[in-house]
Amino acid sequence: MELPAAQVAVLNAASANDAQTTDQLAEDTDLAPETVTGAAFALEEAGLVTVEAVEHERVATTAEGETYLEDGLPEVALYRAAIDAGAASDPVSLGEVIGAAGLDGNAVDIALANFARKGYGSIDDGAVSADPDADPDADEEALALSAVADALDATEGEEDDTTVAPDDLDVGADTLDDLERRGLIERSETTDRTVLLTDDGVDALMMGVEEAQTVGQVTPELLTSGDWESAEFAEYSVEADAETPAAGRTHVLRQTVERVKDVLVGMGFSEMEGPHVDADFWINDALFMPQDHPARTHWDRFAMETPSEIDSLPDELVERVERAHREGVGQDGDGYHSPWDEEFAEALALRGHTTSLTARHLAGEAMGDLEPPQRFFSVEKGYRNDTLDATHLLEFFQIEGWVMAEELSARDLMGTFEEFYAQFGITDVQFKPHYNPYTEPSFELFGEHPETGELIEIGNSGIFREEMLEPLGVDCDVMAWGLAGERLAMLVTGAEDIRDIHGTLTDLDFLRNAEVIY
Amino acid sequence: MPVVEIDPDELRTLASQPEKPEDELIDDLFALGLELEGKTEDGELELEFAPDRLDRLSVEGIARSLRYQLGDDRGAHVPSVNDPDWTIEVDADVPEERPYVTGAVLRDVNLDRDALDSLIQLQEKLHATMGRGRAKGAIGVHDLTMLKGGAAATDDTSEPTKTVQYTGIDRDGDTFVPLEGDAEMTPGEALSSHHMASEYADLVAEYERMPAIYDDLGLFSFPPVINGRRTEVTANSRNLFVEMTGTDQWTIDRMLAILCYAMDARGATIEAVDVEYAEDAGGDYAGSTIQRPDLALDTKTVAHDRVESVIGVDFDPREVLDLLERSGLDARQVEIEGGDVGEDGDVAVGYEVGVPAYRVDVLHPQDLIDDVGRAFGFNELEPSYPDVSTLGGRHERSRHERAVRDTLVGIGFEDMLNFHMTNEAETFERMGLPIPEADSVDGVDLEAGGSVEIEARSGEHANRDVPDDAVGFAPAPTIATAYSEDYTILRTWALPSLLQVLEGNTHREYPQNLAEVGFVAEVDPSEPTSVAESRSVAAVVANHDASYEDARGRLQALASAFDVDLETPATDHPSFLDGRVADVVIDGDVAGVVGEIDPAVLVEHDLEVPVAAFELRRDALE
Repeated sequence: MELPAAQVAVLNAASANDAQTTDQLAEDTDLAPETVTGAAFALEEAGLVTVEAVEHERVATTAEGETYLEDGLPEVALYRAAIDAGAASDPVSLGEVIGAAGLDGNAVDIALANFARKGYGSIDDGAVSADPDADPDADEEALALSAVADALDATEGEEDDTTVAPDDLDVGADTLDDLERRGLIERSETTDRTVLLTDDGVDALMMGVEEAQTVGQVTPELLTSGDWESAEFAEYSVEADAETPAAGRTHVLRQTVERVKDVLVGMGFSEMEGPHVDADFWINDALFMPQDHPARTHWDRFAMETPSEIDSLPDELVERVERAHREGVGQDGDGYHSPWDEEFAEALALRGHTTSLTARHLAGEAMGDLEPPQRFFSVEKGYRNDTLDATHLLEFFQIEGWVMAEELSARDLMGTFEEFYAQFGITDVQFKPHYNPYTEPSFELFGEHPETGELIEIGNSGIFREEMLEPLGVDCDVMAWGLAGERLAMLVTGAEDIRDIHGTLTDLDFLRNAEVIY
Repeated sequence: MPVVEIDPDELRTLASQPEKPEDELIDDLFALGLELEGKTEDGELELEFAPDRLDRLSVEGIARSLRYQLGDDRGAHVPSVNDPDWTIEVDADVPEERPYVTGAVLRDVNLDRDALDSLIQLQEKLHATMGRGRAKGAIGVHDLTMLKGGAAATDDTSEPTKTVQYTGIDRDGDTFVPLEGDAEMTPGEALSSHHMASEYADLVAEYERMPAIYDDLGLFSFPPVINGRRTEVTANSRNLFVEMTGTDQWTIDRMLAILCYAMDARGATIEAVDVEYAEDAGGDYAGSTIQRPDLALDTKTVAHDRVESVIGVDFDPREVLDLLERSGLDARQVEIEGGDVGEDGDVAVGYEVGVPAYRVDVLHPQDLIDDVGRAFGFNELEPSYPDVSTLGGRHERSRHERAVRDTLVGIGFEDMLNFHMTNEAETFERMGLPIPEADSVDGVDLEAGGSVEIEARSGEHANRDVPDDAVGFAPAPTIATAYSEDYTILRTWALPSLLQVLEGNTHREYPQNLAEVGFVAEVDPSEPTSVAESRSVAAVVANHDASYEDARGRLQALASAFDVDLETPATDHPSFLDGRVADVVIDGDVAGVVGEIDPAVLVEHDLEVPVAAFELRRDALE
């Protein structure tokens, strides 16, 4: 009988009495375990061996379990603190005991739930009574947890050093169940396959088995020599998973940004660029933001220390902007009645929004005077001095766009933004009248979440005020809108923690598994 | 955004909607732009709204808006104001930082508990918003019956007959019993020891003299910090004296108008107060007497054309007049000069609009067009795509940056997107670099070339010898008031960010070949902002067998893709292993560095695999 080399080796190594695992066979035959498994299945199909799968349960401690191994179970801590506080004789205030036990947050609830369950005592009306006879040193769960940990320590150096078999532990099944319910251990299963020769297999070996002259791989020699014509090619297990190659890929937020840029370019928008560190004049004053506006206080703003001010600002423009702030624009304009200080205008900050680029473009500072019609955009970073959490970053991609034309109406604004959002599957955009210091009318944009159907805020928009445009030398209409790109990316990817999407705290697995955006 | 708490029953009463169910009330409020945030334990509605309509900071103001919204009222209402009986005299001792004062007398006020709570809330909310935390404007409300006015200096009986004085005194120049106090204190003592006053100590910290208001009996108010106990308002108070001090007359006058309108809605009678600025007083009104509150309508003219073009709808003038009146404004149609004259020679139509004094948000006729749009219903509008043709495109740097990124991904790198903000420890110290500092930045002589002398300032590696042009070793732009100490500078190079990502992902599968084309910045006085901003191309190859060739090979592939010449002469860089680091020389110019990361830096980042890396200027590949 002729068989492929691997099958011959496995058949020779297998025994008729003593079931061997594929791992053992791999060691005996010097073949890769997956090769042995493949060969064993092929042999089973030919009726020469039987393959049996044996499931093994394994357990491992969880992060929470690890914490308790260090600190002890919260209910035990509670019990000890209660005993120390004298709760064995008279009830003691719960708050006091919790404090003494050093418990906070979730641990309090966990301690309370298990304290009574395990008979350490009772809690009535916010007071703790402890059972003097309870023995925390004999806490079954604590002992079981330690047993798992000890067994894990003992596996060091073994192939699998992260889980242990529960059968090797001297712990009751119920106690393990309890630990699993509490999330202190987790169970997993591994499968071992054992191989046993059948009678036919034994017969075949007695008759003699030879290696078939099959070809594993197509080689250059095979092709040039012409031997390929007579060669028998080994069959591969074509359904099996192969090793995934390490692949390059574009960052998922960058993909979103690129997609937004593509859409906007397609809608006739040109891209702006300009400084991240800029004078407050361009970030705020030129946008008719009063200098005493709350958003301009140090709480929100990233003021620069070194360097701290811009070299120069265009004098005439500064005068016009200051006049707009103080006196307003036009016959019936009022201005702000706010202090206005050129030094503040010169102060440098990390831009709080990329509308500073819009201001520089409208003023002719970026690329000379612009004649209507124009469409411009940028998808660049803005900076907010805020706390960092799952939905807020200090840096975010702002999608900023504006349209300049002789006359623009609220209807034009709505039409433009409906078109944009439709490209991302967000239809039925709603426009809620709103307030912005530099636009009037202003609208918050709401749209339906493409997955959940929830109504969510998707941007902010408006028609620039004359007090902003006139000093910049623009005598036609400009409408604009802004939106945080991360918001769009979270919508599109379903990410729940913004820190995965952007920044040095990222999880490579999240990026590697994120679906491609196109 | 401001949040006000209002009792729905009070709102029903004031808005004359006694039977309206709560859900309908909430819908009406939403249509006004007031969103329900939640409810208090007492069942009060917590309403949030944009900070323009500050006249809605009380239940009275919200009820007024609701009445207009529901069509119960139309046009502007101006409360009548009686002739003054009281004068506030302003003298030259008033602190120059706070020269302005305004005031009003409110009589026959029916202050039950609810009305008093509403007044207190309005006062607090006005402080927080228009008053900028009392800095710009501060309100003091007093029980008038507890005040004893001094006799006016004139015998003319048509003049007001009672006076109070707004002046300034030394920190410990006089004493009074502050609210919730039981002992005489000087203003200075109150600032340091009174629990309410000390909260506002910062506001007057720089003042030489303390603002003070006197009546015939003595000091009774210490604005903007705290009132005296003598004139405290209670639910039994029937007549009120209101004073507001601030840094701007317009602001406090408008705060006063909002408060007077609210009390008018409660049935109070408003009585004017004369504010008499002495010849030698500070501010813009020295030598003149002004009567307050000034509730006269402000007039603004709106062109019909503009209404149509902003909203995008053709209107009949009668419709616009109707919409303006429904917004609580007075309006009449006028012919406007200088407006667009129609083709048939018609004179342009416009509207003269009377705006009540509580509308602090109306700065320009455009704001009235917004009112017309809201009354019309913006959501009624049919969106239309503007008939304007433009050509779109990306700028060159943006296209080049994308090409570099795509090429790196093609070479097998995972693209990263890191923060631009970081700190000195990550950027320098953990990379084995001392912290560089520009010798001087502001004030550098730009004519002389404006180059920055770098000095190794401090840090663990302060004594380390670093070539001046080492990649990353440049003075970083620093942030003055960072919220978090992790983010205090802009990064000067991108490799530290990539090492941070490696550090956070040691449990993830290797190889970890990461690259970033990203923003970096350094102090450079020759730039208008003194910050040179650029894009850097950084990459790391992290694997159990990563070595110099891995970085050099990938760099070659990149250079070849952009058709530039690459040479790598040996160099020194403290972040890299000696003998395995080279300058990246592109077309003859040094543009970056390539090498194996120094094991000390790896260990510092808890890495257990070798890392080969490069970083170079993006524009070198152009």
